[in-house]
This record gives sequence, C-alpha cells and structure tokens, in this order.
Amino acid sequence: MIKLENISMKFNLGIEKNYSIKEAFISIFDKKRRPKKTDFWALNDVSFEIKQGEVIGLIGSNGAGKSTLLKVVSGVMKPTKGKVTVNGQVSPMIELGAGFDFELTARENIYLNGAILGYSKKFIDEKFDEIVEFSELRDFLDAPVKNFSSGMIAKLAFSIATVVDPEILIVDEILSVGDIKFQEKSKNKMMEMIKGGTTVLYVSHSLESIEELCDRVVWLEHGKLIKIGNTKEICKEYYKKQLNK
Amino acid sequence: MTAIKNIMANFKKYKFLMGQLILRDFKIKYKRSVLGVVWSLLYPILMMSVMALVFSNMFRFQVEGTSYLVYLLTGIIMFQYFSEASNLAMTSVVYNFPLINKIYIPKYIFPLAKCLFVGINFVLSLIPWFLIIILTQFGLGNYPASINLYYLILPLIFLCLLLFTVGMGFFLSCVSVFLRDVFYIYGIVLTIWQYFTPIFYSIEIIPAKLQFLFEFNPLYQYLTATRSIVLYGQCPSALNLILCVVYALIAMLVGCIVFKKNQDKFIYYI
Repeated sequence: MIKLENISMKFNLGIEKNYSIKEAFISIFDKKRRPKKTDFWALNDVSFEIKQGEVIGLIGSNGAGKSTLLKVVSGVMKPTKGKVTVNGQVSPMIELGAGFDFELTARENIYLNGAILGYSKKFIDEKFDEIVEFSELRDFLDAPVKNFSSGMIAKLAFSIATVVDPEILIVDEILSVGDIKFQEKSKNKMMEMIKGGTTVLYVSHSLESIEELCDRVVWLEHGKLIKIGNTKEICKEYYKKQLNK
Repeated sequence: MTAIKNIMANFKKYKFLMGQLILRDFKIKYKRSVLGVVWSLLYPILMMSVMALVFSNMFRFQVEGTSYLVYLLTGIIMFQYFSEASNLAMTSVVYNFPLINKIYIPKYIFPLAKCLFVGINFVLSLIPWFLIIILTQFGLGNYPASINLYYLILPLIFLCLLLFTVGMGFFLSCVSVFLRDVFYIYGIVLTIWQYFTPIFYSIEIIPAKLQFLFEFNPLYQYLTATRSIVLYGQCPSALNLILCVVYALIAMLVGCIVFKKNQDKFIYYI
C-alpha cells in the first residue's frame, strides 16, 4: 500500500529568506556574505512498509520529522533520496481548512475545498447535505467564513475532509476539533473510517489516542527511524525516554 | 504521445478545481460592488474615453485614415489583458504557498487559472469593443472601422495572445518563487513595455530606421494583426501571423520547461 525505501529529506537552512538581488549581487564579491549551506536532514534513511487497512501511529518529539514524512507520503514534497510508492487515493488532513477562502461563504467553500481535495462536482453535489449535516452549520451556510469562529471552521473542514472514503488517510493531530460533542462525533467518524478498511497514518502527541487507534507505531527521532512495531511496547518506551530527558 | 495523453488526463482530473479557482476569483472581484460584472464591460470603455480625450484633444494624436477610438480601444484591451493576467499569474504561486505546502495540487494550475480568469474578462470586454466598432459605422469618430470576414482570424490571434501570456505567467511565477524581487522589477518592465507598444500612438511617429525594432515586441504583433483586420479590413501579412504564432510557441515552450524543471524545488523556498 505505502512503501518507503531509504527516504531522506534534506533542507537547506542557509538559502532561506532574504535572498534578494542585492544579496545575490553582494555575494558575488564577498564570499563570506554568501548564504551558508547548512544541511539539515529532516528525514534520514527511513524505510518501512504499510499494508492495506493498517493504522500506523507516528510518534517523536517536536521536529523529529513526522510532518515531513506525512508530506512526503502525500506528495507535497519529493524526497531528496529514496523512493516512495503509494497505491491508492490519499486524503490529506494535514491541516484543516488550508483551502478555505475566507471571503467566500460556507456553501462556496465546500465546493472550493472539495475541489482542492480532488473531489468531483458530482460527488460534492451528492454529498453536500451529508457534509452540512455533519458540520452542524446549516444556519450559517451563506455566511462568509471570515465571520466563523475557529471551532466552526474546523468543524466545516473536518466534515469536508472526511466525507470521502479515501484509501489512505493522513491525519495530523486533529481529533481535538470543535466542542466536546463534536470531538466525540469526529472520533466516532474516524473509528468508522478506520474500521472500514482505510489505511491511516496518524500523528499525535496524545499517546492515549495512539494506543487506542493504532495497530503499529513508528517512532522517529531527529529524522531517523528509532523503532517500529507493537503499539503498547513502543509507546511505553517512548514515554519513559521522554521523561528521563 | 503518452506524454500528451498524460497531460490531457491531468487536465481532465483537475478541470473542476480550475473552474472553482476561476469562479472564486470572479466572486471576489465583484464582491460588494453594485455594478458587479458590468464593470468588466464599462471599464475598458471608460479607459478608452479618458485616453481619447487626453491624446486626441490635448496632444492632437491621430492615426491617419482610421478610427482613433477603435485604434485605442483595441490597444487598451489587449495590453490590459496581457499586463493583468501576467501580473496575477506571476504572484499566484507564491500567494498559494500555504496550500501548496499542505496538499498536493499540480502547481501549474495557479498561473493558468489566473490567465483564464482574466481571459474571461477579456472576452467580456470584446462586447463594448464591438459595440464601438458598430457605432463608428454610424458616424462615431472621423472614420468607420471595418467589419469583414477576416474577423474569423481574430480567435487565432487572441489564442496566441493567451498562450504567450500563459507562457510568460509560467516563467514569471517560477522565477518569482526564488527571487521575490521579480514582483517589483516586473512592474517596471510592464511600464516600459507599455510605452514601447503602440497603444495610443502609431509607429509612424518613430524614426523609420528604428521601426523594425517593434517587430521583436510580441504584443506589437498581436496588436498589428488585430488592427489590420478591424481598422483596415485587411488580412494580416503572412509574416505578421507567423510571428504571432512563433512568439506564442516560444513563450509557452520556455515557460513550461522552466516551470516543470523547477516546480519540485518550490517547496524549499516557502
């Protein structure tokens, strides 16, 4: 289903920002002013395989490379080295509402965001009511999204993103969306999708929800794969390691 | 062959998204304006009126034997299309970085959607343009414009203008990812370009020795081809038409190659 072979991802911390013509011009004459090339390996030789229907948890400290890994799988980034093979349609819930235009109404955003996620017009037409129903926002359908609270935006985004039955679902910490009632609802929806045979890549700092949901766990640290395997054991070890530091 | 098939399949897959992006631009453009889409029709007419007043009354500009209003308006709507579309296309990739950073979308969609969006406005502005042409038949201005069968060539010329603009859009949007200065530089370039395109003047006023330089300005080719049909009722010269197509193809080729080669690097320059 998903196969990662020796994935490495290099970022160049030096070329970032403020590189304008002025600087480019200066750097021709002044070698010291040339942007320093500091290589940063966000992922370093990571390989593993995910079978269809598996729910994989990703754990690791901040900056361990979890989000980068998700981006590589979803195709946002091409790895510097290595090979990714992904069979099946990927639905990325990396950050909810990224595709919203705040000037448009909720109704218009459902279509726009749906299109960004790769849905067809026919599909959205069919599922429109389901999305609205799940988001509990029927009364605000024709209000511009800029007037929504962040909770409402998250609800709408979650409803659009989960209306499909994707073959691969990529989730980055979103279960804490909306009010308590909606959190419960979204969790149930996730469980439903997981049981429906979707392959899930799940990133969270909540070990509780990882243990609850995941079949296997991948532990990343400084871009390297530390361990992969049994959820309970690795979570325990990870927890200990984190606290001992 | 398979490459073309792939491109077509990709187009088809993202057709709906393209439509949605264009629709979004349209809605936002006319949001909270009373006249709404009427502005697309009114704007070129008002621009033309102002320029006609300034240039024909204050500077006594004339292009002998032709309707100066149509001469102006043709220049205005065609250059306006190019400058607006290429400008929006240039900034489109950078402005959509938040999205590109999170979801996989083919990046060429953004500049292309902008060129098509402005293209719709361009097509709308052809309505008042044609209206003015008809009115010249009834005595508006000094000379009537021409309505003839060569109008059938116009879509080809406009298509070339679109392709040229899309090619420029690809190129600019790609370069501006790595060098944001391009945003400002291009503004200056556009101003210079505008003055070196005969929008309100005729190249007859340029010394004869220098006139050949205008042949290298693609926009001059598109304008000349359109004007020879509309103002003089003549088929554009073969060289003129060939250059229209050649400039469009060169821009597309360079734009596509540069964009395709660099698009995977965009993500590092966010």
